[in-house]
Amino acid sequence: MGKKVLIIDDSSTMRKIVTRSLRQAGLDFDTILEAGDGQEALQLLAKESVDIILSDINMPNMDGIEFLRQKSANAAIKSIPVVMITTEAGADILAEAKSLGAKGSIKKPFTPEQVSEVLGGLM
Amino acid sequence: MDFAQAIIEATSDVFNTMVMLEAAPGMQATEKTTAFNDAISGILGFSGDIKGMLRINCPNQVAMAITGSLLGMEVEEIDDDVRDAIGEIANMIAGGLKIYFTRHNHIIELSIPTAIGGQSYTVHSLANAEWVAVPFTLAAGVMVVELQFVGLK
Repeated sequence: MGKKVLIIDDSSTMRKIVTRSLRQAGLDFDTILEAGDGQEALQLLAKESVDIILSDINMPNMDGIEFLRQKSANAAIKSIPVVMITTEAGADILAEAKSLGAKGSIKKPFTPEQVSEVLGGLM
Repeated sequence: MDFAQAIIEATSDVFNTMVMLEAAPGMQATEKTTAFNDAISGILGFSGDIKGMLRINCPNQVAMAITGSLLGMEVEEIDDDVRDAIGEIANMIAGGLKIYFTRHNHIIELSIPTAIGGQSYTVHSLANAEWVAVPFTLAAGVMVVELQFVGLK
């Protein structure tokens, strides 16, 4: 069965850039799902299973940290690996993301090679 | 702290890594521009040890060139993609400046970016704020990155 990825970002531009970067990095997912914030992502994950999640941190409604918190409390989805893609390079916020289960982070701006490097180890 | 240099480094990082367009920095601006025609401004506020805002001002042609290069497609009109892209460019430049502030022991939190634009609009400045603006020349025109802040001791 093909691999599925979920991209969570309030910016439609950034979701398109991440999608393009995945293709340029040679990471061919069969299905790319998108959500505009953490809340929308949780609703989508109640219906769809995915192999990996790429999530922004700063988002309206539900940010990436709260998304991780709620995901880690949900047995059905807690094991799905999450990589943060964010402008937030602060050690404290990334440490918080890691403590809530994030498997890695990619700082915006990023190259397809950086996406490949981080995701390669998780696929 | 050299804020003009910080703006140049943060902006160049975004353009060299993701936009893939040449954006040549010029001399620091000396006069504020508050009225714009056929343009888009991406705006992002920040709070914490220092409070302020980052704003990038792009003529429509520049905004469309940036969006087209960022998304790898032809852009011929100002639409939601362009507004979102300019907001995201402001967001990434602000992220670079946040790192610069952190290196100098000033912790800030970034807000969610927004974009405004139109045939004719004016923007306001923060009262009694420090102001630093750097123009960047692209093939399609000139984009200005402005930083305004208060609270730096």
